[in-house]
Amino acid sequence: MLELGPMLRALMRNKIGALLIALQIALTLTIMVNAIFMMQERNRQMARASGVDEQNTFYLSNTVFGENYPLQSNLARDLDQIRKTPGVVAATQINAIPLSGGGWSMGLQTKPGDDVDGTGTAVYFVDTQGITALGVELLAGENFSESDISWRERTSNKWPPKIIITQKLAEKLFDGDWKKALGQTVYINNHDPMQVTGIVKSLQSPWNGWDNTEHASLVPSQLENKGSRLFIRTEPGRRDALMPQIEKMLADSDKQRIIRNVKTMTETRAESYREHQATNNILLTVIIVLTLITGFGIVGLAMFSINRRTRQIGTRRALGASQWQIMRFFMLENLLISSLGVVLGIGGAIGLNIWLVSTFAMTPLTPGLLLVGCAALLLVGQLAVSYPALIAARISPATATRGRA
Amino acid sequence: MLSMKNISKSFATDNVVTHALRDIKLDLSEGDFVSVIGPSGSGKTTFLNIAGLLESSTSGEYWLDGEDISKLDDKGRSRMRNQKIGFIFQSFNLIPDLNLFDNVDVPLRYRGFNAAERKKRIEYHLDQVGLASRMKHLPSQLSGGQQQRVAIARALATSPRFLLADEPTGNLDSSMAQSVMSLLEDINANGTTILMVTHDNGLAARAKRQIFIKDGQAQELMQGHHHNIHNLAAV
Repeated sequence: MLELGPMLRALMRNKIGALLIALQIALTLTIMVNAIFMMQERNRQMARASGVDEQNTFYLSNTVFGENYPLQSNLARDLDQIRKTPGVVAATQINAIPLSGGGWSMGLQTKPGDDVDGTGTAVYFVDTQGITALGVELLAGENFSESDISWRERTSNKWPPKIIITQKLAEKLFDGDWKKALGQTVYINNHDPMQVTGIVKSLQSPWNGWDNTEHASLVPSQLENKGSRLFIRTEPGRRDALMPQIEKMLADSDKQRIIRNVKTMTETRAESYREHQATNNILLTVIIVLTLITGFGIVGLAMFSINRRTRQIGTRRALGASQWQIMRFFMLENLLISSLGVVLGIGGAIGLNIWLVSTFAMTPLTPGLLLVGCAALLLVGQLAVSYPALIAARISPATATRGRA
Repeated sequence: MLSMKNISKSFATDNVVTHALRDIKLDLSEGDFVSVIGPSGSGKTTFLNIAGLLESSTSGEYWLDGEDISKLDDKGRSRMRNQKIGFIFQSFNLIPDLNLFDNVDVPLRYRGFNAAERKKRIEYHLDQVGLASRMKHLPSQLSGGQQQRVAIARALATSPRFLLADEPTGNLDSSMAQSVMSLLEDINANGTTILMVTHDNGLAARAKRQIFIKDGQAQELMQGHHHNIHNLAAV
């Protein structure tokens, strides 16, 4: 028969130790739930697709140092060489790499004018193979043709007449209906018109933490720069073999430039989210350490309480308690203390979350996570108390007649 | 009702075997009041622990209410303690954090009685020892004699086959001791069997039978040999 009533009354007469453990559990729950919540937020961010075929793509930097270097013809030669290499699916020159942390951004607006609000977008200059090289999916419209591609000097501020934008950007510009965007004119640089000739499903910007990171535009231009990047997509499984092969081929074919920073998109993603991953690891460590401290606190309190009550436990055994009933007594007592801690912790967790949400503009935490946190801490309490409870259950009933006062 | 045959208890430590009890024989009938006396270290407590199923004997037979104790596991022994034996300890052994009601309730909960039955028994037995009006008091608010009365109420509440009293007056002054002893005599007069360990020869003499334990061996003293008890106890 459970002893909830007498146990509660006895706890009320000896509340300090129990209350301290309950507060520790409350604090642990408060921090644990919010830390997990923050980890989930980061995991969600990291799980977003960049839109790029990351497994089969890589890129490299091409830095020219020769004087009077024919940039246009040599770029055409390089791309031709790469594209002819068996195993290569497509290649393009590109100005920036998704998730890399560095790139171009512009404002796009549906009406011309300096006072019109625009929407930020990352800008990728690509040629006709841009879409295939990146591996992005064209939802509507068409790819650029050879005649769309124009040369762009480093200091140029002119924009070609066509643009392909992401679905998210199209939704933002055209009231949530991306299909409406196709064929429409948008304005870059406040006044320069560009016609939306295609919409791709997704392509992330170079900045993973940017609010508009799903907003990206492909612009049909080739850069006439001494420093440029080439983006290459291979057939599945051939990337790693082709990377050194293409690097060597390019380096050997022209001694007036340096090929460097040959890097896969997989590496770029890992580097991009390195801080996220590190923060998550720290949060996980905090959760584990805090839970262990709470667990040891429970073990400590239970051991102290059992040592103090050895004679009482012996008496209970003498009066007919089985070993299981003694064990159950301590587990139930812990469940009561933990439940109080969990109830206080729910308040704490929600309070801290409200503060986090209002301060860092995060989404509120879900009741499901809170429930899992509560269940986890109740389980930790039961696991922590099980060893002391086992020791208590092994106290001999003969203890009742020993150590006379 | 209780029958012990050739009960022995020995402890083995570092090649030395200590015999705490040797070949104890005892038969207890319904309504008996047996006192157990003997000098310190004679084996009284060990005897009481074995009789109360608080520890096991090394050898011998012990039958309680038709059951062979040696065949019982820990759970079975716990059940027997709860159902057949009422314990009264020298230090009362009340649970300090529980009020009198909850203290008497402890063995009743282990017995599995329902709330109404428990309440009825607690009130009846606390009333029997004259403490019904103090049910909500904590043990610390009571005198030693009163605490022992609560312990007696707790021991009786489960309607045991016999009471096992371990120096029940050892921590009480003489007037409280007399009153507790009178209470035990009343309980015995109403038909409850009592086995009492004591070092007080005067109290021991008030029992119907006396067993003298010395060096782990027991000897039953005949009625009217009170003077002998004094002499033996002084050894």
